[in-house]
Amino acid sequence: MALSATTTIAFKTVNTQICSRNFLPPQRHLPFSSSLSSSSFVRTVSARAMELERKNPPVIDENGVLKKGIAEFYDESSGIWENIWGDHMHHGFYPPDSTVSLSDHRAAQIRMIEQALRFASIPLAEDERKWPKKIVDVGCGIGGSSRYLSQKFGATAVGITLSPVQAQRANALAASQGLANKVSFQVADALDQPFSDGQFDLVWSMESGEHMPDKAKFVSELARVAAPGATIIIVTWCHRDLGPDEESLKPWEEKHLKKICDAFYLPAWCSTADYVKLLESLSLQDIKSEDWSPYVAPFWPAVIRSALSWKGLTSLLRSGLKTIKGALAMPLMIEGFKKDLIKFAIITCRKPE
Amino acid sequence: MRLLTHNMLSSNIKGVEKGFPLRIEAEKVVEKPVEMNADFLRKMFEKVEWKAFVEASRSMGYAQLPEEVDSGMLESDEFLSRFHHALLELHLEEGALVCPETGRRFPVNKGIPNMLLHEDEV
Repeated sequence: MALSATTTIAFKTVNTQICSRNFLPPQRHLPFSSSLSSSSFVRTVSARAMELERKNPPVIDENGVLKKGIAEFYDESSGIWENIWGDHMHHGFYPPDSTVSLSDHRAAQIRMIEQALRFASIPLAEDERKWPKKIVDVGCGIGGSSRYLSQKFGATAVGITLSPVQAQRANALAASQGLANKVSFQVADALDQPFSDGQFDLVWSMESGEHMPDKAKFVSELARVAAPGATIIIVTWCHRDLGPDEESLKPWEEKHLKKICDAFYLPAWCSTADYVKLLESLSLQDIKSEDWSPYVAPFWPAVIRSALSWKGLTSLLRSGLKTIKGALAMPLMIEGFKKDLIKFAIITCRKPE
Repeated sequence: MRLLTHNMLSSNIKGVEKGFPLRIEAEKVVEKPVEMNADFLRKMFEKVEWKAFVEASRSMGYAQLPEEVDSGMLESDEFLSRFHHALLELHLEEGALVCPETGRRFPVNKGIPNMLLHEDEV
């Protein structure tokens, strides 16, 4: 899509801050929120992008800096996370208004996987023939989802991550669980997946979309590697949908997200509606989305509590600056949810047969 | 990296028309025995690109696979055990996967391929 040129040219980096932003006024954020039709929009954006490129020579390799930051962040912090929370690096799914203890969280994280499958109408118990057989886990962390899904469906799963430490650990865990013949992990970029077209019948992205600097490319790669009839499941952090009269978030909202971007190595956020528009533009079918923010409310308070425990504090002190910086940003996530700025979203769809 | 994984990987460098299969440069191959599961093998048989698999196996030092196959061979224990061995028991620990069109090497270290593209390959 022409938009990949747009999003790569004009990211702003200030010193070590890695919060990439589109430069295209008046659409300050990822421009899908506008009311233009997609084809006239693409023409407008491409023309504007070329004009800007002539006036402002592109800052080189911004995405490379982001990718390096992401890899280093997870190289540094995955071990600590696993030590305290286990091998699932995603939110738990909690009944609304529940009070949970740390021991319930692993069950909640498993519930998140199961709920996501159910939302996407992946046929469960009865019809084994309809179970996915080849799964790709995009942004796989240390492989918790891959191993779980592989065991559940008896499928092969291949996971990709930018972090060599994560890939190593993921493979080691698979080996120790007797899954090494079914599940494998590689270092690769979700924006350029090292697979030929149409290989997988379940394309899984659990809380990795927020790291992708080019949402259009991210989604188009998910669609590309999906086999005809495959299911695509995206669970990710979004900002609230913009209102019909809005062209961007309010200044305080932008500022708030920027602080989180900086700590967690995230590029610009988009909304759930933006994802839906992207999936529609690729002619994917059965597109469904939902706001699961109410179901993840206990998560960040629990992470903070675990960080403040003796084990948490000593681990953080032994970790590195990146991990500590990330930990300090956690209250920003809680605030973001409370103010209805941050949304925990699920978006699923099917590739046509 | 097992050959099951290799059979899925492809070079997506910009401009490359046929990035599959990747050639294997094997520096260190390790054999790790694993229990055979005939049902799993039969399922995988449908998905494996056979020609690429035989060639890759040869690069890893195992040349005992038939060049051409049909599903009738799945009844043979001998065939199943060779298929199993090549698919799941040979590990490329150190070496590289090479793009068939551009010759670009993707390193494999400690069994993990690094498929990240450089800025100019995207």
